[in-house]
Order: sequence, then structure tokens, then C-alpha cells
Amino acid sequence: MSDDTGSPPEPQSQESSRIAIGLAFGNSNSSIAYTSQTEGKAEVIANEEGDRQIPSILSYVAGEEFQGTQAKEQIARNPRNTIAFWRDFLGKGFGDVDPSNCHASAHPVEMDGGQGVGFEVQEHDVVEGEAEGKKSTLSVSEVTTRHLRRLAKSASDYLGKSVNAAVITVPYDFTDAQKAALTSAAQAAGIEVLQFIPEPVAALLGHDAKIQQAGEQTQPQHHDRTIIVADLGGTRSDVAVIASRGGMYTTLSTAHDYELGGATLDKVLVEHAAKAFVKQYGRAGADPRTNERSLAKLTIEAEAVRKALSLGASASFSVESLSDGIDFSLSVNRSRFELLANKTLMSFTRLIESAVQKADLDVLDIDTILLAGGASHTPKIAANLASRFPATTTIISPSTDPHALNPSELTARGAAIQASLIQGFEHQDIEDSTEAVVTVTPHLSQAIGLVTGKEGEESFALIVEPDTPVPVRRTAQITVPAGGDVLVRLAEGVHHISVSQAEKAATNGAGGKADDDDDSEDEDDEPEEVRSKVFKAGKVLAEAGLRGVKKGAKVEVQVSVAGDLGVTVVVREVGAGAQKGGVRGSVEGTGVAQNGSA
Amino acid sequence: MATLQLAAALPSLPSDWSAEKDFKAVSPLSPPTSRAIEPVGPHFLAHARRKRHKRTFSEDER
Ligand SMILES: Nc1ncnc2c1ncn2[C@@H]1O[C@H](COP(=O)(O)OP(=O)(O)OP(=O)(O)O)[C@@H](O)[C@H]1O
Ligand SMILES: [Mg+2]
Repeated sequence: MSDDTGSPPEPQSQESSRIAIGLAFGNSNSSIAYTSQTEGKAEVIANEEGDRQIPSILSYVAGEEFQGTQAKEQIARNPRNTIAFWRDFLGKGFGDVDPSNCHASAHPVEMDGGQGVGFEVQEHDVVEGEAEGKKSTLSVSEVTTRHLRRLAKSASDYLGKSVNAAVITVPYDFTDAQKAALTSAAQAAGIEVLQFIPEPVAALLGHDAKIQQAGEQTQPQHHDRTIIVADLGGTRSDVAVIASRGGMYTTLSTAHDYELGGATLDKVLVEHAAKAFVKQYGRAGADPRTNERSLAKLTIEAEAVRKALSLGASASFSVESLSDGIDFSLSVNRSRFELLANKTLMSFTRLIESAVQKADLDVLDIDTILLAGGASHTPKIAANLASRFPATTTIISPSTDPHALNPSELTARGAAIQASLIQGFEHQDIEDSTEAVVTVTPHLSQAIGLVTGKEGEESFALIVEPDTPVPVRRTAQITVPAGGDVLVRLAEGVHHISVSQAEKAATNGAGGKADDDDDSEDEDDEPEEVRSKVFKAGKVLAEAGLRGVKKGAKVEVQVSVAGDLGVTVVVREVGAGAQKGGVRGSVEGTGVAQNGSA
Repeated sequence: MATLQLAAALPSLPSDWSAEKDFKAVSPLSPPTSRAIEPVGPHFLAHARRKRHKRTFSEDER
């Protein structure tokens, strides 16, 4: 079979001077990635310090600007001249931003009469003879430009050529005003924004591209799946339910939580450590939470401990001179952390479940959960999902799948792949292709398949999944052991969840292995429900009779749905000579215009 | 797309079944839902090209 959709389009013009990267710009971290057009492989680029997750932080120390890990180290030492967690402030008025993530660093200030947000820092060294350095107010746009300029430089240094364009990932709910602000901030840094793509979509693209490369020969090119992509970051978590059909992605629902991420889990460990400190030292040491610097140290260590616990069973929480000059250390094991953080950890599960509900789907409809974003390294998040979703749902995360890509790198990879696909196009062409007239498309509301089995005991064999955009073409084969004349009856499939009672639940095994005693609440003696998803044949679309099929031969059914919802069916015996041309016919469309409408 | 292999049995053709050219259109598809495809990836680009040039799959393959 030739490739329906995969051949790369010929660029309309040679914008050969473009060197485009993929750029993931989060509130907590940024990542840059590159895909060479010849190899098509995405590669995440390390900066000069060797970091692939570059903290989105700038700090000003004695007239010098630091970025990334070096700047992050300044949060405890020089918090007011360290700018962090501003990405979501772009394009917003002062009254519309939530400053709470900035409590430990520079505080956002009002600019342009409340129209904008900025940070007041001392970016220049103290001039001789002056007691205090002059402060400057840097707008969120200016901070972004400085940050992006450094990212582009890191990429340029690595690639040995000057980067001047990027595909940038943003949350689904980034407004046009925010995109416009990011576009100009990037432009000021010498970066042309080729396209913005939603973070979860980028993560999926990055994942799929890898799968495709790994299994080019052996595996089918791609198959239809309904996927949850959960981008679990530092300060926020964003979830999307995506129908992946023939390599195209349609977002069915999204869910967001702006107060849930790795930082929420850090707080749990901070509390734990602070309480242990107070208990151990009593009045000798003041509560480290009441001192800004001590709190910052605790928070930094909490994150390091949490990362260590993603891999190991225990970690040591240790901070020099935490409070009143006392060095503090505490051993934390993973199960203790998971118990302490249980509520927060369950919030990730609930957020993901809410996205399924919003899409009007059931957990049984979900084929795959792809975990992206740094917090996805946390094994318990995947384990909790495994016990909430059925065994048929594959969970892709470092702790559940040895082949999973680093979740912290997925979005940048996807952006890099998209960048390499479109960097040869003219700007107008890219814009035209992302317009609603091109993207908004009729999608099948029901599945299409065959009515199979004897009369009275019919079942439904699925060929085209619901939520598939049209036009679409799918081919299926079915063996006819007895041969003879067969009836090919094409119908819509109506899916429903069947529930039966059984003694033992068929839940996803990965979930409840070693920690059965943890979730005692869920365990009662009621008979377990076994839920399964079944398709039943609904409305019949067409019938074809294929005569004289050889014993044991295969019958091939090709279903094509046109843009106007007309269905063409071709039924033939596989391997039969051309003189036996098979049966071909059409069902007229419902007259939906080629371009659909929103 | 790869060809699907269905594990099921086709019913045999009832002896009284007949249709012109052995094909019978019964009813049209249910009304579709209008949704936006994410404009990313190689498959979307091919879709966009077909749509903008109003080409079908087979024309596109030539
Ligand atoms: N190995 C790990 N184990 C546990 N958590 C980790 C690990 N690596 C990174 N994280 C956490 O992931 C979070 C950062 O995630 P990510 O880099 O995806 O954030 P982001 O998208 O920039 O953030 P935001 O949500 O604030 O916009 C941090 O809380 C970090 O501690
Ligand atoms: Mg993120």
C-alpha cells in the first residue's frame, strides 16, 4: 500500500536562510531541540552548562546576567534580583496575573498603568560613590526577549549556525494577545515564530515521530488511537484528550489546573522537613518556613529529593545552615513521600479523569496515556493512573515503559519536528494552512464497520473509528474459511459500556502491585464490576454481495468517506484475478460542504 | 494506513438477496461533528495540501 498521507509536501519556496528550532518555553523550564531535515531525528540541545532543561530564570548579580541553573541558584541568595515564573504573564494586564509563584523571587510590578507586568531589578552594578544601585523595571516582554535570545544563542553555538526561527509550544489556553506578545518578544530576540503549537500536541508529535522511526519497517506506520496527553509541569498541569486518526490529531477536550505541578509536591516535602526540624531542635531553631532564605533552601532541596525519589527508594534531605546556623538532614523514603503527598498525587489522576469526562468518553475509550512534562517522572502518578484506567490502556512514562522518551523533552522534540517540516514554507503559506477553513473538518460521529456473525448473533467489526476526520480511507481484510457467497454489510457502530459483576476486578496490573495496603479505602467486599466497551451495529449503510469466494480466501473491504460524507465501498477477493473485479458502490453524502463549518 | 485484519466471520449471502451489480445503498452516514484538526505533523500537511488544492487521495498519490 502506498502512503496515503505521509509524503512530505514540497515546499512552495526555498526559505533556505532559515535555521529553525523547536522551543518549549515553560514557566519553570525551557528546552531547545533541533531536527535536521536530512535525518529527520529530533535532538534536544544542551546549553553551555550541559542542561537540557534550562530553568526559565534570569538573575542579575553585580551587573552580570545569569540564566538557567546558575540563575536558579540565586533564588536563595539574591531573590529580589532573580526573575522566575513569568511565562504566563505575557500579554496580560497586571490585574489578570497570579503572582503567587513569584513569592520567592522578584515580585511582579504594574507597568503602563496596569496594562502590563514587569519586574524591578538591579541589573547594573553599583556605581562608585552610590550607596545603592539604580533599579530598572523590565517588562515581561523584555525578560522574555532576553531569555529567548540566550536560548537561541545556546542553540546556535551548538549547531554552528545562527538560529533565526522557531516553532514554540504554548498552552492550549494561551490567548491571541499572549501569542502576539510572545511573537514580538521573540522577534526582538531575532527569532521568527513559524508557528505556535499546543504543548500536549507537541508532546504527542515528539512521541509518535520516535515510534515511527524505531519501527519503520516492522510496525504498521501508525494506527488510530484515542490518547490522553498529560503535560504535568512545575506550576501547572494541562491535559488533552486527542483522537489520533491516520497520523492526524484532533483535540476532543482539555483540562487545566494552574495550581498543580511539581512545585505542589515540593510544598509537601517542605512541610514535612520543616516539621521534622522544629521537632528535632525545638526552641533552639526557628521554624525555617518563617524565614525567606530558609524557605528557599528547603524548596530547592525538596525538589532535588523528589527527583531522587523518582528513581531511588530513599533520598537524603540535607540543607547546610538551614536555620539559626543549624545543618539539617533527614532521610525520606519513597513510600513515605507518596503517603504524605497522596492528596496531591490523586489530584493529577482527577484532572486527567475530568478531561475524559469533558470529552464525553469513558476510561475504556482511552488506548494510551502519554505522560509529558517534568512531574511525569514521578512513579506514583503513573501507578495511580494504572489503577484507575483499564488494563487495555497503555501508560507511557519512565516508570511504566522502558522505551518511553524523557517526558521533560517531549514537547521540545515535537516542536523541532514541526519546525523542520515547515521551515521551507513562506510565512503566508503556514498561516493559510492553520486557518479554520483548512483545519475545521467534518469528523465522523459514529464508527463505521461490518456487521459480522450469523443472523441473530451479529456483532460489529470496526473499520473506521468515530471522531475520524473526512476524507478518510481505510482497508480491512477478513478471512472466509468456507468460501462461497458472502454478505458484506457496512454499518455504523454504536458503542456502549457493558457492565457485569465478577469476583475479581480486571484492573491494570501495574498499579496495585506492592502497595495494596496504601489504598485501603477502595477495598470493600462488594462484588467488582467488570466494565467493557462494545460496539453494536447501528444503522446499516450499504450491502454488497460477493459471490464465489474461494475457500479460505480473504475478502478485502475498502471504505472511503469523501469530504461530503459520501461513502464508497469496494469489496473484492484478495488475490482473485482482475476479471473478478469485485463489487463497488457508493452511498451518497448528506451534502455537507467540502469545507464544513464551525 | 496499514490494512486491518478483522477476526470475525462474514455472514453468507441469503439466497433471496439480490441487488443491481450486487450493491445496495441503504442509508447515508449520520451527520458529522465539526472539529478542528491540529495543524501539525506530516499527515496534516498532506491533508492541508489536498484540501487547498481540492484533491482526493488517489489524485494526491499521482
Ligand atoms: N526526575 C524528576 N522527578 C520528579 N519531578 C521532576 C523530575 N524532573 C523534573 N521534575 C519536576 O518537573 C517540574 C518541571 O516540569 P517542566 O519542566 O515540564 O515544567 P514547565 O512546563 O516549564 O513548568 P510550568 O508548569 O511551571 O509551566 C518541576 O517541578 C520539577 O521538579
Ligand atoms: Mg509545561
